[in-house]
Amino acid sequence: MTAKPRKNPAFRGGRCIRPGGIYWMRYVIPALVFYVIFMAYPMLDSVRLSLYEGTAGTRQFVGFANYVRLFTDEVVSTRFWNAFMNNWVFFAYHMILQNALGITFAAILTNRTMRGRQFYQTLIFIPCTVAVLVMGYLFKIMMNPQWSKAPLENVGLGFLVHSPQGWLGDPGTALSAVSLVSVWQWVGIPTMMFVAAFQGIDDDLIEASSIEGANPWQQFTRIRIPLIIPVIGMVAIMTFVANFNAFDVVFSMETLDGAPNYSTDLIGTLFYRYGVAGQHPVGIPEPGVGAAISTSIFFMLLCGVIPVLVKTQGKE
Amino acid sequence: MKKLIAILMAALMCMLPLVSLAEVELTMGSWRTEDTAQVQALLDKYYEMTGVKITFLPTTSTQYNATLRQQLDGSIGPDLFYSRSYATGAELYDNGFNVRCNDIPGVMENFTDTARSAFTAADGSVFAVPFAAVSHFVYYNKAIFAEQGIEIPKTFEEFLAVCEKLKAAGITPLANGIAANWDILECVLCGMIPNYITAEERLAYESGEKKMNDETWVRIYSDFAKLVPYFPEAFASIDNDQANVLFGIGDTAMLIDGSWSYGTLSGDDYDIDVGFFTIPAPEGFAPGFSLHPDFGIAGNAASAHPEEVRAFLQWLASPEGAKVAAAGVPAGFLPSISADVAPEGGIVSQMFAEGEGKNADMRFVWSKMMSLYTPMVDQLNAICRGEQTPEGAADAINALWEAELAK
Amino acid sequence: MVKQPDFSVKPVKAEKKTRSLRIMNMHIPYHIIMILWSFIAMFPMWFLLINTFKKKTEIYKNFFGLPKTWTLANYEALFSGSDFLTYFRNSFFVVVVSLSMILFLGSLCAYALAHWRTKTSRAIYYFFVIGMMLPIKIATIRLLQIMKALNTVNTLFSLYPVYIAMGLPTAVFILTEFIHGLPGEMYEAGYMDGAGRFRIWYRIVIPLIRPALATVAIYNLVPIWNDLWFPLIFINREDQKTVLLAVTRLQGQYSTDWPKLLTVLSMSALPVIILYLTMSKQFVKGLTAGAVKG
Repeated sequence: MTAKPRKNPAFRGGRCIRPGGIYWMRYVIPALVFYVIFMAYPMLDSVRLSLYEGTAGTRQFVGFANYVRLFTDEVVSTRFWNAFMNNWVFFAYHMILQNALGITFAAILTNRTMRGRQFYQTLIFIPCTVAVLVMGYLFKIMMNPQWSKAPLENVGLGFLVHSPQGWLGDPGTALSAVSLVSVWQWVGIPTMMFVAAFQGIDDDLIEASSIEGANPWQQFTRIRIPLIIPVIGMVAIMTFVANFNAFDVVFSMETLDGAPNYSTDLIGTLFYRYGVAGQHPVGIPEPGVGAAISTSIFFMLLCGVIPVLVKTQGKE
Repeated sequence: MKKLIAILMAALMCMLPLVSLAEVELTMGSWRTEDTAQVQALLDKYYEMTGVKITFLPTTSTQYNATLRQQLDGSIGPDLFYSRSYATGAELYDNGFNVRCNDIPGVMENFTDTARSAFTAADGSVFAVPFAAVSHFVYYNKAIFAEQGIEIPKTFEEFLAVCEKLKAAGITPLANGIAANWDILECVLCGMIPNYITAEERLAYESGEKKMNDETWVRIYSDFAKLVPYFPEAFASIDNDQANVLFGIGDTAMLIDGSWSYGTLSGDDYDIDVGFFTIPAPEGFAPGFSLHPDFGIAGNAASAHPEEVRAFLQWLASPEGAKVAAAGVPAGFLPSISADVAPEGGIVSQMFAEGEGKNADMRFVWSKMMSLYTPMVDQLNAICRGEQTPEGAADAINALWEAELAK
Repeated sequence: MVKQPDFSVKPVKAEKKTRSLRIMNMHIPYHIIMILWSFIAMFPMWFLLINTFKKKTEIYKNFFGLPKTWTLANYEALFSGSDFLTYFRNSFFVVVVSLSMILFLGSLCAYALAHWRTKTSRAIYYFFVIGMMLPIKIATIRLLQIMKALNTVNTLFSLYPVYIAMGLPTAVFILTEFIHGLPGEMYEAGYMDGAGRFRIWYRIVIPLIRPALATVAIYNLVPIWNDLWFPLIFINREDQKTVLLAVTRLQGQYSTDWPKLLTVLSMSALPVIILYLTMSKQFVKGLTAGAVKG
């Protein structure tokens, strides 16, 4: 290895083992079989339901009526666009805050000479292990002035109380509160991915740059970050996709309806409400509308994901 | 290499078909996880009498409708299941999941038309044996009432005066919150409505003969709005469980909630002495009583043991069976059967006594106006947050109902 | 980001340099950041923990304080109800079997997709990626029918295939990326030694992507362990229940006894932490493997 850092694309997977040949198929097939039988087929078949109305016993083909309803019916479309916009806010918190924290932590935690890295990384991860149900319960109490006002004021942290209705009860703050709890709980996951990515970087590159006089900040911005661009793209895609399917955190903190006043309603809860459970208290689901929601979101995700994939993965 | 073999073994394990044992045993689905012990004891009693074993398999209430449907759809549903009343229950029947109960002895004889109609589909088929109704009460902490020298209020005006007195004494009057998005309508507003609108008048609203924004409705919403100042701090963050807790630990003097909560509120979990009364009617209005058919027991049409399922339903529809069942279910569920089956002097009798001589009716929107449920919850929340006036709420609801009638 | 002072470049006296190196290696600003975050991450855990030692309603009267009287009753109740060992065992099986299969199938597939570059392979790759974009709940009824046909309903065998399939898209996505990032020379050496592709896979690729494998495992670990939806629908038999399924049933029964519920739920996080620690050891191993490659 020479002192000069190699340019990124040439470095990555430069030469491969015969990049062709149907031979590879035998490595792909086992995963493909599982995936097709237990996920792709059932899912695509259910997406087909977006062209139908009614539930199992009373199903009828209605063409694109569900889509028409989703985008023109006053109530449904208001809910849909509301959830859609909320979801962007929710996503932005994760994309900007969670991933920035993740990269920072990972950069720190991959310092070979730093002590206690494993310890810190475990602490960061611990919130991920606790069921969302518990987190919802704890934060509901901690953010409720009824329980937290007096204790917080006693220790001089009164500014953390949002009076009178609490962070989760005020339509203006609820979405941010829920997003921040989610960022807090799951930041261990991107951290872990970035750690794995940083560790894949050749030490020689860093050493070489030190010798050439780069300080740690320069090393970070000029070498380590560019080298993990593909992983950053990957994490961005996963954040994007996961957040448009997010459900549990709202369900456990703000009910299925995305209370208060639908301010925390996300696509995930909207889909569940329409497609799986049915609106309380009637509880008659409309799988057709649910499937229409999923399908529409699917195409929007696709539009977001494909360009990122092409840009950051540079495989074409 | 060893690891690889281990992984492959795991893969193989995955593929092994597993034969599940066929046991002659019925299962019963329910949303009442709270009642597991009592109901299982009741079912065990049935086992002693008949030799048919039934296992109680409740799912948390918020997940019940969804999971039950998926299981029925995949024909792995429980043999017997708690059925919701009205549209929700009927829809499962329309999908062919329920045993038709009309020819089960007792179903047509031992229930009033009103009780049965909640479990009757559009084509006249009875899709579940009516089992229990619920009511909605103001629970009060007897110790606090005694301490403050407060009598049970007879009118809504007195009720507000009680709230004011408690508030002045530094006690939060009501524990109710709006975070759960259902109890504010189902327990509070639907508990109040029978004081203003009788069952017959309800029909006039349903048909459009009367307007949903007439004086009566504006009055209802305004009276509701008068309660809001007596809700606890941060009520927008308080859900139904937390409201129960706030009342149960003695922090608030009253709670408006369903009759089903009596069991836990009076149980070992809390130390308070709890009493209850119906939400009082304003002066000049005849007092009403909300009595809402809540659940029936349905049989799964696809059950592998149809004989046993029918036998159990028949037992439930008989006065003897209903009596055993009534003694077995937790307090707060009022038996639907016409026969007098409630244990004498028990809490159920006391609850029935509260309704004596009052206009009883079910929750207003349930029969025909289910589409108004969510909008009404939204309007009530807006009133609570001070973003909507009673008139505005009535107009908004009326507009929706008129649009629906026009269709 | 906190800027680090530049210690490295200028020629200095030997002893001074060792001293500054020593100080630099203490990474004080980094520790400050990490300690700060550890505090933020752990304080709710603290409240979780202390509330498991409280009695029933004390949690609502005194949430933030230490218990007035410490009680172990919640823990005793958990371990005396021996059923919970069964539930833990079930959950453990579900996680271990599903994760092994995800890693095994996923890494084989990703290995192929990273090297085999044709239109077909691209199509297969995107086909997997698509799987991340739809909510799996949408397919519940179909899955239930498939499980019925396979006669696995009411057993853990109805859960394995679903979780494996659920984990594969992310596994393939992440691992393809990481395998693709491996330096080409690594294979050449193996190839010249005459090793077959399968040998290269488990001798060279697998050791090198250990951190990525651990990432995939941990990424899937949490949702599988904490999944409620599929057990709720597929499993009714007592001896086949997973921890979280059993807990939600308790949630109703103990609706007012949250300390007990919190005890069960915080205990149910322990196996996840243990599995996490086991798997994150792979990061360290990956590190040494990485050191060899230079």
